[in-house]
Order: sequence, then structure tokens, then C-alpha cells
Amino acid sequence: MTARAAISRDDRRVWLIIAAIALVSLLIIPFSQALFGLRFTYTVRVVALGGSFLGLISGALGCFAVLRRESLLGDALSHAALPGVAIAFLLAGRELSPLLIGAGIASWLSLRFVAALLATTRLKQDAALGIVLASWFAAGIALLAYIQSIPDASQAGLDHFIFGQAAAIIESDVRLVMGVGLIILCLLALLWKEFKLVTFDAEFAGANGIRIGLINTLLSTLIVVTIVLGLQLAGVILMVGMLIAPGVAARQWTHKLDQMVILAAVFGAFSGGVGAVISALDSDIPTGPTIIVVAFALVLLSLALAPGRGLLWSRLRQRSNRRAFAARNTLRNLYRYALAHGAVNAPVPDSFIRGVGDRGAALGLRELDGAGHVRLGEGGWRLSQSGVKLARRDIHNQQLWDTYRLYAHELALPNVAEDREREIASLLPAEAVAILEAKLAEGAAP
Amino acid sequence: MMPLERLLIEFLLNFLTREELNALLRSPQNTATLIGGLIAVSGALLGVFLLLRGLSLTSDAISHTALLGIVVAFLLMTGVFGLEGDTSSPWLILGASLAGVGTVLLTEMLYRSGLLRQDAALGLAFPLLFAIAVILVSRFVDDVHLDEDAVLVGEIGLAWANTNSHCFDHCQSVTVTEDHPAARMTRQCLNCRALGINPRDSRAEFVEVCGNCGDYSPAQAWSAGLLEREPALVFFPKSITVTLVMALLSLAFTLVFYKELKLATFDAALAKALGFRPAVMHYALMILVSLVAVGAFDAVGSILVIAFFIIPPAAAYLLTDRLALMLLLSPLIGALGAIFGYDLARGQLFSLLPVASGIAFINQLFGLDLIEDWDSSISASMVLMIFALFLLAWVFSPRYGLIAGALRRANSRRRFADQVVLAHIHNHQTTPQAATELRADTLHLHFRWTPRRMTTVLARLRALGWIRIVDGGAVLNERGEDQVYRFRRTMLEARNMPDSG
Repeated sequence: MTARAAISRDDRRVWLIIAAIALVSLLIIPFSQALFGLRFTYTVRVVALGGSFLGLISGALGCFAVLRRESLLGDALSHAALPGVAIAFLLAGRELSPLLIGAGIASWLSLRFVAALLATTRLKQDAALGIVLASWFAAGIALLAYIQSIPDASQAGLDHFIFGQAAAIIESDVRLVMGVGLIILCLLALLWKEFKLVTFDAEFAGANGIRIGLINTLLSTLIVVTIVLGLQLAGVILMVGMLIAPGVAARQWTHKLDQMVILAAVFGAFSGGVGAVISALDSDIPTGPTIIVVAFALVLLSLALAPGRGLLWSRLRQRSNRRAFAARNTLRNLYRYALAHGAVNAPVPDSFIRGVGDRGAALGLRELDGAGHVRLGEGGWRLSQSGVKLARRDIHNQQLWDTYRLYAHELALPNVAEDREREIASLLPAEAVAILEAKLAEGAAP
Repeated sequence: MMPLERLLIEFLLNFLTREELNALLRSPQNTATLIGGLIAVSGALLGVFLLLRGLSLTSDAISHTALLGIVVAFLLMTGVFGLEGDTSSPWLILGASLAGVGTVLLTEMLYRSGLLRQDAALGLAFPLLFAIAVILVSRFVDDVHLDEDAVLVGEIGLAWANTNSHCFDHCQSVTVTEDHPAARMTRQCLNCRALGINPRDSRAEFVEVCGNCGDYSPAQAWSAGLLEREPALVFFPKSITVTLVMALLSLAFTLVFYKELKLATFDAALAKALGFRPAVMHYALMILVSLVAVGAFDAVGSILVIAFFIIPPAAAYLLTDRLALMLLLSPLIGALGAIFGYDLARGQLFSLLPVASGIAFINQLFGLDLIEDWDSSISASMVLMIFALFLLAWVFSPRYGLIAGALRRANSRRRFADQVVLAHIHNHQTTPQAATELRADTLHLHFRWTPRRMTTVLARLRALGWIRIVDGGAVLNERGEDQVYRFRRTMLEARNMPDSG
């Protein structure tokens, strides 16, 4: 019951975070207009809108790439679009939609090629992706060089198509991104269960009658479409980061797929919008790279701060563990020395305790002193009443654990994993503890 | 580099005359093929270890982030140390290699946090570094020649023209001063521009300026016509030297540390236990990869260079299981690809088939009018040819090829058919139903096979002497019985074997 309550509390927290970030990213443009007195031109608004919508889609889909350990798929697929662009140009000239379709077909073919390589050879994924990336791209470069040798072909800037030029984005491009993006999001919602199952447990999915191959292909195709849409804005290399950074950041905050996908979408939209706004501050700051830097900043923040999982939290946990450990060891040393010298509250020389306890002693003494378990008096440290009580309880607990280890089988006690940091009474049922106590009283303890 | 080039030229002059050597080096084909081959050799050698360690895409990341190193080194040179911004300075190469190692370190740092996986760490690290590089370029570097085309494709076709000249005989440097007979003196108006007047104006003041004064190296002096005797010159393309050094370094590294690399690649834990320091090997490999990637930057561009690291080792990996053989095959495939690649760029596929006829065919097929003149990027064509060789290896590899696999599957299907038919005959021939069960012309019904398939199998079994047909019914021969028992034994053994899956 309590565990469930804790989970739902975590859930609520994540939803709150998602809502907060979503609100901020919605308000960015009006807010920064008011706060910094920036006057956003029509172009900036178009780019910001396109950037955040692209971030939204790629963030949502990127989660699946991250979870399926296919983060670098985006790298290969986006480079592989180039020959498609070149062939489309040769066949249909400089129109946006044939170029997009050509790019999509080329990367989709590269995807199938990777799958074929993985299925029929012993090459690993990284090598297969590398082969496809390099050779498809080389084909593209060779075709581009051929196109350049054609007189009066209006090929200028064809490579910008691949390397991104956010400033050249126009409203119809954004409308295209939004339209296709909505279709992608609808598909994602419709096939949510299938995508989830195939991602986490493909065999189970197959056993339940889901056509794994079809769903895998569909998911990868959606990723291809997203990449092709993003090429113009972010460019090949930056599209890789755009695809996975939001997913990695979102992964830190939650263990649930639905939250992860929504959070990644929000993160993606945030970095797209903020990146566009920052790059509007100065004409020398390119948009695509700025978006990536913002996204990576989100990743770093998440790695550091994410509750429970983040580096800051694990550092804090380590610190409190170290303190508790030092305090316990120091208490035991104090208690043993005092007992050996007559009484539980006999003074223990500072030099002894520091000598025995090594570096942890200072930390332990500080902890114990702070909690009022010891005080420094004449002749050294003395245990206080509460300190003595704590030490006795600890010793008793350790003795119970010793007894448990020796006689658990003989006394037919329930099995628990030995964890001497914890009270045995909190792990075993009361009657079992009573049996242990009786055995200990017989003088069974070593 | 210069003394090294000199040594090399002196060595070559033992076999060739100076004129022959110059003619060889001045041919774009020879130079480009040589440079491509050398890059292929160094990349393919190091790539073997990258492939075996599952780090193939690290070369991709390194070659991209080299840009960051170059930009930062350039900014430091011009901004902090006040040096001249020379794009071929060794400091840039140093910066680029450091950036490569930095990428690896950043990736490992992210990965070691335990919060994300290796592929994600790599996929985050290099777009970030690349993005920073792009921002720096567009913010601070305006006039530098960081041409997008050069980054993408390289200039291997022009490498022959970018040379160092070495002089071997009649070497005479010339310093032209104002009183030298060859000095060209011109009058220049001192204050025309300041006053905005015409040189013919009476207020104009003039000064004599020497148009061609300065120091002339022997090569420059000869081409400027300052020398009477032609000095014995050799023009050596700079890229050959760079790529040759890279290839020699990679070769030396592989040969000297063969044992260490092998151990660290296949069993890092054992290597560590034996005191071989696999981590040192790892970083040495990464530094070399960065160096080769940066050295190849000029010639083949930053993206295509990864083909030389990944594709030849992958092809070799499909051909052999032995590391030593792989290290031999991989550079061979790379170098062959470089040689065929030059031909492809000039319109010849494998020196056999003109590309133009292919384009003509496509034109005919689709009713297009594409230009039939195929003159394309050399480096991209080299990659395409390496890829073609990879495809050949994939299809024809004797052990792991598609054809070998198909044959193996067909063979086991055949063996299985043989065995079930034999077992069927064995099980029924002593029973009362034998006459109906074993009739050769109805046998296929019991297996739900086509009659044809059964006929083929029976014919094969008869040819092997395992069965004979008596009165239209199949009967096992002695050797057929043997087969059944052998088959049964292997089945039983397989069943009793512990499951090692």
C-alpha cells in the first residue's frame, strides 16, 4: 500500500515537472519579448515554431531509439538521405516535395540494408550502420559532383538541404512539419501498445500475435520521416542530437514510458524554441547548433538533478551512507574500549579512538557528538546515556544476526538475505525473533 | 616533414631518374591513388581493432569533432598567441587530435555515470562538440578557408599540385635586391589616394618600388627565370608525406603491439591481469585514429574518411576468422578500392565498363536526357568501390557469404529429407502395412510432399546405394540401414548433450 502511494506520488511529481516545462516553453516567445525587449520578426517566429514542433516530434520518437539502443540510427539514416536528394534532383528538379520523398526513400533503403546485414552476417550494429552511412553518403557525394558538372543546373545550395539552414525556413515548411508531425503523433497514439511491447519485450509481443517485423519497420520509418523533416532545419549531424538528447534527458526523470515520451516531447519543444530565440539575439549564432546545445544542457541538468537517479542525489546518498557507517564503527570502538576499561561510560582517550578509527573516526565523532551520543570530557570521550543504549542495541542486533547465521537452518527460521546494516527484527517475524532471542540467551552466540 | 621527404626522394632516385619521378608524381592519377591507398591502409589497419571492439562509429564521432579541435586551435593561434592563421599548421592537427581524444573521454564520462548507454553517450557527445564548433566558426571565424566542400569531400584530385620542392643539384637560392639586374622597379604615387588626385597632377609625389624583390628558393628562382642552369628539382606532393607517415605509424603500431592489441581486444580482463594495461592500448588506438582522421581530412573529407575505417575491416571480417589474416586482407581491400575508385571517378567501372554507357542506358530506359559525361568526386568513388568490394565479400565469402549460407541451408534441407525418408522406410518395412506404406509412387502422400520432390529424393537415395526398389516398393539396403543407425545415434547423442544454447 505504501509502495503504491510512493509510486503515485512520484507520478504526480513527474507530471508536475512536465506541466511546468510545457508552460515555460509555451511562454518563451511572449515572455522573452516582454522581458528582454526583443522584437521578434516574422522569420524568427516561424523558425521558433518550426524548431519547437520538430523538437516535439523527434523527442517523442527519439525515446524509442534510445530505449532500443539505436541512438546512432539517426546518424546513419540522416547521412543516407543524400543520394536520394541527388537522384530526386536529377529526375524532378528543385522542388521541395520530390527532394523530401527522395531523401526518405534513400534512408529507408539504407535502413533495410542495415537490417539485411544484421540478419545475414555476424557484423554488429555499429559496423553495419557505419558501412551504410559511409557508402550511401559517398554515393550522394559522387552524384552531387556529377550534378555540378552539368552546365546550368540550378544545383546551388543542394547540399544545404542536407546540412541545414534554419534561416531559409519558410512558413510552408513549418506547415509541412506540423502536418506530417500530427500524423506521426496520431500513429504513435494508435499503435502505442504495440510500440511499447516491441520495444521492451519483442518475444512476448510476437507470442501475443503482434507482427514484430511490421511494427519495427513502421517505427523505424516514422524515425526516418522525422529525420527527413528535420534535415532542413538542423542538418545531418545535429539531427542525431535532436533525436536522442530529449529522450536521454527524459529517461532520468521517470521509469514509465508514457511519461518519458511526453517529457521528451516537451524537452524537445523547449530546446527547439529556446534555441531559436537565442540564435535570434545575434545574427552570427546559427540556429541548429544552438538548439543542440540547449538540448544538451537539459541532458546535463537531468543527469545531475533527476530525483533518485541523478548524480547529485547519488552523491548525497553516498555521503549519508558514509556518515552512518563512520558513526556506527566509531560507536562500536568507543563501547568496546569503555567496557574493557571498567564501565560503559569510562572515558576513551581521543588519541585511541582516532588511531583505531583511521580517517572515519573524525567524521564518526562529529556525527555522534552532534546527535548527543558522546561528549568530550576529562580524559577523553564518554558515551552518553543514549549512546550506551544505541551501542547495546547495535551489539545485540549483531549477535542476533550471528545466531541467525549459525542456527537459522536448525531452528527452521524463514529465509532472509543477511543485511547487517538493518535491524533483524525489522526483517523477521516477531516469533522468529523470539526464538533467536531464546537461543542467544542460552549462550549460543560465538 | 621536409627531411623525411628528402630521404624518401633520395631512396627513390636509386631506381628512377629525376625526370621519371617528377613525371610520376605530376600525374593526378598516381598521386591520388597513392594517397587514397595510404589512407586506406592506415584506416583499414586501425579499423580492424575498432570493429572487433564494437567501436566502429567512434571513428565517425572523432572525424566530426576534429572540426572543433581545428577551430579552437585556430582561434588560440590567432587570438591568444598572435600567430598567423595558417590552415595547414601542425598546431591545427594537434588540436584536432586532442579533440578526437576529448570526444572519446566525454563519451566514456557520460557512459560511466551509469545513467545512459554507450550508443546514447556517443550520440550525445559528438553532435554537441560539432554544434559548438559550428557556433564558434560562424561567430568568430569569418575569413578563414574552412570550406564546406573541403570538409565534405576533400581535394584528393588536386593533391598533386600542392607540393614541396626539393633541390638536388645546381641549387642556388637568389636574393633579389633593388640593385639586382633582374629587379623590376616601378614608380608608385605616394599621395595620390590620400589627396584623391590623378598621378599626372603636379602635386603627385613618386617613389621607386621594387616589384619582385625578396628571397627565391631554387625552384622559385628557376620559374622566375633568374637562373641560367636548371636546378635538379623534385616536386613532392605534401599529402603523400602526411598520409605516408600515418600509414607507417599505424603499421608500426599494429606490428609492435600486435600481441597487446590482440589480448586487449579479445580479453581485456585477462590483459589487465597479465599487466598489459588495456586502457593504455585503448587510448593509444584512439589517438592514432584521431591522427589518421585528421591527416586524411584534406584528402578525402571528414565524413568519407570513416569509410576507410569501417568498410574494409568489415569485408575482411566476413572472409576470415584469423586476426592476422584480417589485418592483411583489410588494407588490401582498402587499397584495391582506392585504385578502382580513381577509375570510377574518371568514368570506368573496374577499368572495364564505361559509366557513360550506363547513363545512356538509364536515359533510354526512363526517357531522360542526363549528360553522359561522368566526371565525379574521386574520394567518394573510392568509397563506393570499397563498398562494392564489401558487397562481393558479403555475397561470395566462402564461409559467411550469402551464397555459402544458401548452399549450406539447401544441403541440410537435403540431408533432412534423406533422413526422414530413410527412417520412414526403416520403421515400416517389417510391418504388415509395408506394401501400402512403402509404394514408391504413393510415398509422397505420407509426407505431404509433391510427387516430384519424392521422386528426386528417392532417385538420390538409390544413386547413393541406400535403398532399392523391389516390386514398386522401397527397401533399405545394408548401407541404408547403417545410415539410419548412424542418424539415430547422433540424434540420441544430441538429446543427451547438456543444453549449451
